[in-house]
Amino acid sequence: MTSPVVGFAGMTHLGLVSASAVAARGFELVCFDPDRALIDRLAGQDMPVLEPGLNELIRGNGARQRFTSARGDLKACDVVYVAPDVPTDEEGSSDVSGLTALIRDVSAVMDPGAVMVVLSQVPPGYTRALGLWPLERLYYQVETLVFGQAVERALKPERTIVGCAEPAAPLEARFRTVLSAFGCPILPMRYESAELAKISINCCLVASVTVANTLAQVCEKIGADWGEIAPALKLDRRIGAYAYLAPGLGIAGGNLERDLATVQRLSESYGTEAGLIAAWRRNSRYRRDWPLRRLHERVLSRAKEPVIGILGVTYKENTHSIKNSPAVALITELMSCQLRVFDPAVRASTDWHPHMSVSENALACCDGADALVIMTPWPQFRSLKPSDIAARLRGRVVVDPFSMLDRAAAIAAGLEHIVLGAPLPVHAE
Amino acid sequence: MTLSHAYSHSRKPDRVIVLGSGGFLGRNLHRACAASGVAATGLASSDIDLSDASAGARLAKLLRPKDVLVFLAALTPDKGRDSATLMRNLAVARAVCEATRAVAIAQVVYASSDAVYSFDNALISEDTPAAPMDLYGAMHRTRELMLAAEAKSPLAVLRLTAVYGAGDTHNSYGPNRFLRQAVKDGRIPLFGNGEETRDHLYVDDAVNVILKVVSHGSTGLLNLATGTSATFRTTAEMVAARAGRAVEIAPSARQNPETHRHFDITNLLRAFPGTRLKSLDEGLAAMFVDMRAEASG
Repeated sequence: MTSPVVGFAGMTHLGLVSASAVAARGFELVCFDPDRALIDRLAGQDMPVLEPGLNELIRGNGARQRFTSARGDLKACDVVYVAPDVPTDEEGSSDVSGLTALIRDVSAVMDPGAVMVVLSQVPPGYTRALGLWPLERLYYQVETLVFGQAVERALKPERTIVGCAEPAAPLEARFRTVLSAFGCPILPMRYESAELAKISINCCLVASVTVANTLAQVCEKIGADWGEIAPALKLDRRIGAYAYLAPGLGIAGGNLERDLATVQRLSESYGTEAGLIAAWRRNSRYRRDWPLRRLHERVLSRAKEPVIGILGVTYKENTHSIKNSPAVALITELMSCQLRVFDPAVRASTDWHPHMSVSENALACCDGADALVIMTPWPQFRSLKPSDIAARLRGRVVVDPFSMLDRAAAIAAGLEHIVLGAPLPVHAE
Repeated sequence: MTLSHAYSHSRKPDRVIVLGSGGFLGRNLHRACAASGVAATGLASSDIDLSDASAGARLAKLLRPKDVLVFLAALTPDKGRDSATLMRNLAVARAVCEATRAVAIAQVVYASSDAVYSFDNALISEDTPAAPMDLYGAMHRTRELMLAAEAKSPLAVLRLTAVYGAGDTHNSYGPNRFLRQAVKDGRIPLFGNGEETRDHLYVDDAVNVILKVVSHGSTGLLNLATGTSATFRTTAEMVAARAGRAVEIAPSARQNPETHRHFDITNLLRAFPGTRLKSLDEGLAAMFVDMRAEASG
């Protein structure tokens, strides 16, 4: 059998990274998107998303990975992935209308004997009810995109979960060839199981994070340090070295929120008990306001017209995304303050706040500020010297949820260094 | 639902009617209005019996469309915990509903209570479901629902934790009672060893937040608490340290399960940024200063 030609439809974050990983395995790739301007950017190696390693990966793929806005080019493909990003609203509901429209357009030009793979995340029941492609050659493949680590995860997946009409039947040969190139276990299952498997993974991650958040808060109160506890947990085989045990500012980015909302809707529809999901969402909302509470205790209730420096706007490091970003939420809560904001990837919008200026670098954010808040754990913030920060701040308070600064150096520099899950420092009056 | 403001900057209301101005909080609010130049009319139970069947019509005659009505009037648990007290309190709310149906006014601010919450949740926020455990809590929750359904005016519901300060006539377990016991008997009896935690709000802070709600034309729901709870033991120790005499803090065998209450006041900070609330220690210090001032005339 000759090597199958693989097509990808939808060249936003998920499709672009996933297609590039398949091309890196030696397959010929046709990358389609109806947005001609986007295709022109991609052809010119101008990436619309920030993802470490992506530019190098696409450059290395060379001519194997071809970008096109001509839908008909997919006719030559043996396997076609449909993989646009699916938008979510504020309630966490997915809007799959764009995905369905793209599937309809693509199926009209695909070779009738080709395989279609839905890669975009869909709600349970979607794939079997689609009705646009024969079920024996229609698959749903679980995506495990993680913003900021997407390339690494796409190249080296832990396993591939495949939803099928009939899991006992062998996978279509050309599709199996593509999947086998990644050398990881392949887990065929019913469409519905695969669709729920992705949600299940995310629920487990949220559970871990919620445990960390809950206990980190106890640490802050009783003089324990979660930073000392978490490594011990990771050495427990029942928990694991890669468990999500870093406390944070609640779930953000949109994907986890979407999955929790989906489980809640399913439980309401089918009458299953899901009080835990509501508790996770409540905990997430509560944790999001952790910096606001710390700032109020230390600065806002004491200083008149306080000036606050904020480092980081994106919801996490190594991404442009500000979806449900705790930093943006904090900015909009500090209306009585003057703000100085810096982010390495995103220029903060002055529409967010009437008294906000955008700083050109991290240290400039500190100039004359009563407090500094490091809202996003961008790696470059680790290299900031606490003594430099102390020299430029007017106040002493540094709210550093993710412990980006050297703690000992911060204390030595006279800063009140406030970290998630660590004992709160005594406030200097 | 949390609080939202009609006015982003505070503005003076035309007139504030303090319903329940004979009570501890009402007296302080009335006084604060006068001190800040806000026109205020106090109505105490001696002025109008709001539990009377004709009270709604009588109250309506006193209302003007630009008025803000701060509804503090209630028979507190020390006046009775039975169903008769409950029904009288509901009759008062019915009168307010009738009056504000007849005359739409600028704003109704209802002083509810944290008694609408159960002790199932140790950390309370505005998202915590109301689940009253007694008739007093059920009364406040019912009044909230009556006002939401029938008062034809913008409504703010404030759920207050225990309020303390000089001149408080209530004698509930907490700072005020501890103070009287310390001064009079030199002994503060505790339930158990006073392990339970509660949030105590100094009266001036409660009044200040109510005035902010009035001056911003706020509507919605807000809990009023400091966000920091202390055990009754700690509270007793703080009082004893200021009593000016030796005070014995006397534990007893615990008769009831231990309960705790803490408040997440993020929504309060969000509604009124920069609000400074006195810690229990600061509040007790202020209370002693006020008491000495009152004693010296």
